[in-house]
Amino acid sequence: MEFTIRAATLEDCKDISRMILELAEYEKVSDQVKIAQRDLEQDGFSKNPFFHGIIAEVPEHLKSKEGHTKVGYSLYFYTYSSWKGRAVYMEDLYVMPEFRGKGIGKALMSKVSQLGLAAGCTQLNFTVLDWNKSSLDFYLKQGCWDVTSDLGYHCMRCEGDALEHLAQGGL
Amino acid sequence: MRFTICAAKPEDCKDIARMIMELAVYEKMPDQVKISHKELERDGFGPNPFYQCLVAEVPEEHKSKDGHTKVGYALFFYTYSTWKGRTVYMEDLYVMPEYRGKGMGKALIATVAKVAKEQHCVRLQFSVLDWNKPSLDFYLSKGAEDLTAKEGWHFLRFHGIALDNLAQEAP
Repeated sequence: MEFTIRAATLEDCKDISRMILELAEYEKVSDQVKIAQRDLEQDGFSKNPFFHGIIAEVPEHLKSKEGHTKVGYSLYFYTYSSWKGRAVYMEDLYVMPEFRGKGIGKALMSKVSQLGLAAGCTQLNFTVLDWNKSSLDFYLKQGCWDVTSDLGYHCMRCEGDALEHLAQGGL
Repeated sequence: MRFTICAAKPEDCKDIARMIMELAVYEKMPDQVKISHKELERDGFGPNPFYQCLVAEVPEEHKSKDGHTKVGYALFFYTYSTWKGRTVYMEDLYVMPEYRGKGMGKALIATVAKVAKEQHCVRLQFSVLDWNKPSLDFYLSKGAEDLTAKEGWHFLRFHGIALDNLAQEAP
């Protein structure tokens, strides 16, 4: 299938927002999505963006049944490993169900890697839910490794009241 | 014991590099540290820094047996959740063994949380090794949640040849 991969622009935020919700539904947590199109516009396209995006687009004649030509995205940002230096973190990778199996997901992820390497990164990191077997298989087949299973790192989070309380103890 | 928590300066990078190695030894992976103070200086203090760092310092009269007054650090950076928006990831939190139990670790993480809130971040995330019970207990007592245990999130990574191969396939 014909498709292009390109950097996301401000105008893409509406479609990115739509697809973020679709991905959250797939992960069974759509009630968790609290940000909207305008948050993406502000946080991704200002002077110091919190993230970068890439979009997978198909030509008009291949548009989805609802009329969308923007059919996949990846959202990533630069991070830092105190052991290895510059790294890139892929927050989301998503392709609409009717466009899967055509190499779009792989192309998006490859693009993130290429951009990361160009920026001097030595790692591409991301997270996957342990029950998401089809995604886990896809990633492991591409040559990545499961840092949680192999080394025992657990993802931890403070938010809401816990974060408030913690911040009150700051100097 | 008196101490201060301040934003790191370029001249702190030698001490930060020293403490990064001490933390890697504690985590039983000292051979994994590949960067030095030079990369820390380059990557933390330019116009678009890859990370922020706080340093805990004691007065001269409390210097360590090896003569150090910089005795702890927290290294963090801004990230993004497509569900919740701006977040902070704390890559490292470390206090030299002889200075533990005096509130420095708590002050460091609390200051990271305070900075996070000032930047309108809604989450503070980090990772902990599953065998590191003192750290796990410390974080859980502060209200952190273990997302790996609770929701099944795993960290995955591409690096080395696997990352190069992936990037080569980018359109």
